[in-house]
This record gives sequence, structure tokens and C-alpha cells, in this order.
Amino acid sequence: MMLFRFEGITYTLGLRQERKISVSGSLNEGFALIVRGPSGAGKSTLLRVLAKLQTCLAGEAYLEEKSWQEIPVTTWRSKVHYLSQKPALFDGTVAENLARPFGILAGTKKQFDPNLAARLMKELLLPSDLWDQDARTLSGGEAARLAFIRSLLIDPMVLLLDEPTASLDEKSRCAFYEVLSRWLAQPSKAALLISHNNDFRELSQLAYLDIDSNPRR
Amino acid sequence: MDHSTIPISNLQLAFSVLLILISGAISSLLKLGLLKPLLWGSVRTFIQLTLMGYALTYLFIINNLWLILVIVTLMCYIASKTAVKRTPNVPNYPSMLAFFSLLASTFLVGSIVTGLIISPEPWYSARIVIPIFGMILGNSMNGIALALDRLYSEARSRSTEIEALLTFGATPWEAIRPSLREAVRAGMTPTINSLMVVGLVSLPGMMTGQILGGADPQEAVRYQIVVMLMISAAVAIGCLLLVGLSYKKLFNKDGALEPFILHSRQ
Repeated sequence: MMLFRFEGITYTLGLRQERKISVSGSLNEGFALIVRGPSGAGKSTLLRVLAKLQTCLAGEAYLEEKSWQEIPVTTWRSKVHYLSQKPALFDGTVAENLARPFGILAGTKKQFDPNLAARLMKELLLPSDLWDQDARTLSGGEAARLAFIRSLLIDPMVLLLDEPTASLDEKSRCAFYEVLSRWLAQPSKAALLISHNNDFRELSQLAYLDIDSNPRR
Repeated sequence: MDHSTIPISNLQLAFSVLLILISGAISSLLKLGLLKPLLWGSVRTFIQLTLMGYALTYLFIINNLWLILVIVTLMCYIASKTAVKRTPNVPNYPSMLAFFSLLASTFLVGSIVTGLIISPEPWYSARIVIPIFGMILGNSMNGIALALDRLYSEARSRSTEIEALLTFGATPWEAIRPSLREAVRAGMTPTINSLMVVGLVSLPGMMTGQILGGADPQEAVRYQIVVMLMISAAVAIGCLLLVGLSYKKLFNKDGALEPFILHSRQ
């Protein structure tokens, strides 16, 4: 079943907006769409535009055939959720960081589930004594996994993953894809993924999207 | 004890030029490049204050409510322009927002002080209103300039966190709140510091003026207490209004951070 679709998403690249890019794509439930293209082609920008973090000049995205114009932007961002390449850490412990979104989602049904968080930490090879550690002291790889867990806890429908494994070693990379494929196997889940490592082959259902690298002036 | 002012004659005033020569000599000796602004600033001090002296004399005599309102509004306008000018982190800021914040906070606090606390006869007496509003403005101007600059620099340095909060489903207000808090804190810190040390480290300008003018120190102290508290109230209200009005400028219509926050400073 089609879960997520975007048509003619048009955006510019560069400080002076010298390059214009237009992309379309669609994504079935359970699939991971690999966004390919050389560095600087605008892959990250596409994910940011789809998450409504950056201005879109034209085009529309649909979640379960509902246009993003009909969905409040805050709801859209928690359902079509962008995970930055630079993991964002907040003052406080690892546990407080994991619970951070739920201070905002207080009005919704979503609640912080410490057991699920602890289980995900274990599956992603993070030792349980990290729980009370100051999040600002984490290593790059630990921080990336922490941010990934936090994104899963929000329970989005579409994950926009921007090089999630860039700072992970071989072992934790395998763990990452195991967790991700299990997550994708749930109903109404899909992901867009940028990766320079070609390490995503462990995912079972893959589709590809190539971004035009020719600069159009 | 003689309670009258000792007047400063023209000759005595001319001696004060000696003081500029000292700071000017230091500046040129160390090549600070401050000689020109120092001289220009001194000339402006002489001219602006002399004109103000005449203007005040005139204002106090005619004591017209509308004229006072115009003058005070004009003071707010100049203060808002000045506050927005020296904020390196803030590009293209609409000074209307600063003007509105200053106008609202100054009039609110100023009216309470002149109407309720000092209550001169008539209540809009220029001799009270203009110096009081001027003192409020001078302080809130610095407060909002600091708060505004801090708001933008916080947004810049916390952009990753702000965007992360947005991806969690936060509204711009929820995402920027930690930065707003820091901005208001930055704007209020100088005022709170001066509340702490007043009388110990510094005798504030107004009190000093009254004492030099021959007033009873205990009377001067009462005035100064009112002034200190009024300034802290005005700075707090001004900063709060300003950041509350300004934070939306950091976000686009979709509630995402504006690109200028994410890019390097121009």
C-alpha cells in the first residue's frame, strides 16, 4: 500500500539559490527509499524540505494520500520525521534527552516509555549505565544512536534519515539496520535514507531515487 | 548647612575640557583610534545638553500635555533606533517592534510612577514626567538591545536543538523558549546587578544630582528607590515584549527556522 508520495518538490540550493532541483517519488509501506546522488546534489535538502524545515517552491507531499497542506505543520513533522546528520543533544542526562519530545507532545496520547527506550538502547549496543550519564559527554556514535532511538520513540510514520550510520562502527551499523528493518516491518512505516556507505543492503524492501546532479542555471 | 546649588560658571565649565584632553591623550598614545569619536562625542554632549537645557526650561513653563506626549514618543523613537543599531547578530530588524516595546513599557511604568507614586500637580507636570521617562528609556533601551542581540545569537548557536524540537512536533514558541529565556535574562542582568550594588559601589546619577543640587540625602534616597524599582520593572516588561514580538521573525510561514539563522553571519 502506498504510504508516502511527493510530486514535483522544487527547491533551490546554495546561498544565492543558484541551483533549482525538482524531485518526485513515492514509497510503499515497509519500504526504504534510498536517495542517491553525489555530494552537494541536494539530498539532505530534499529530506529537510519534506520535513517542512526548509522552504519548498512548488510541489506537494502526501501522507496516506492526504496533502501536507491539510495537515498541521507540527503534526506533519512528528509523522514525517527528519533525523539530522548532526545529532541534537539537550542539557541533561541521556534519559532526559530521550524523554525530551514528550514534554512537547504532552497534549497527545504519546507518552514516554522508559522500557521501550531501554530495550532499544540494548538492541543498539548502548550500555545501560549510559542512562544517567550527561548526554553532552557522549561520543559521536553514541549520540547518533541516542538521537535515532529518540526518533523511534516519537513513533513517526515516515523516517527521513540523513546518513544515520556515518559515525557508527561496523558492529553498531549492523545493529542499526536490524532495528530499522524490524521497525519497517510494522504497519504504516516507511523511510527515506541517505547513505554513502552502501550499507543498507541488509534492508529487505528497497527502492531508489536518483537526484539530478546537473546544475541547472 | 547651605542647601543651595553651587553654580558652575562658563570658565569653570571650560576647565572640564581638560578632562577630554586626558582621555584623548591616552587614546592617541595607545593608538586606540578613539580620538575622533571622543572629540565628536564631547562636542555632541555640549550641544545636545545645552539645547536640552533651553528646551526643558521652555517645556516646564508651557507644560502642555500634548507637547509632552510628543516629546516622550519622540524619545522612544530615538531610543528604539539606537537600540537596534548596535546589535551585530541581528540583520534587517524592523525597529517598529523595538519602538512598540519601548513605548508600551515606558508609558506603563512611567504612568504608574508619575500618577500613583510621585503624583505631581498637574499629574503630567513636565518637570517630573520628562526626566522620569528619560531615565526609564535610557535603561530599557540598553536592556532591549542586549535581549535582542542575545535572542538572535542564541537562536544561531542552538539552531540544531531548535530544529530537533521542531521535528518532534514543537511549535516555534516551544522550540525557541529556551533561547527566549536566555535573551530576557541577558537584558535584565545589568539592571539586577545595579539593584544589588546600588549605594555600595555606585551612587546613582539621579541621587548624586539631587544631592549636588542641595537636596536632603534622605529625600534623594527615597526618589532613588522608586527610580531603581521602576527601571527594573520597565526593563523586564520591555525585554519580554520585545522577544515576544520578535521571535516570529526567526521563523518562516511554515514555522521553520529562517535560512539566515542557519548560515554564517554576513
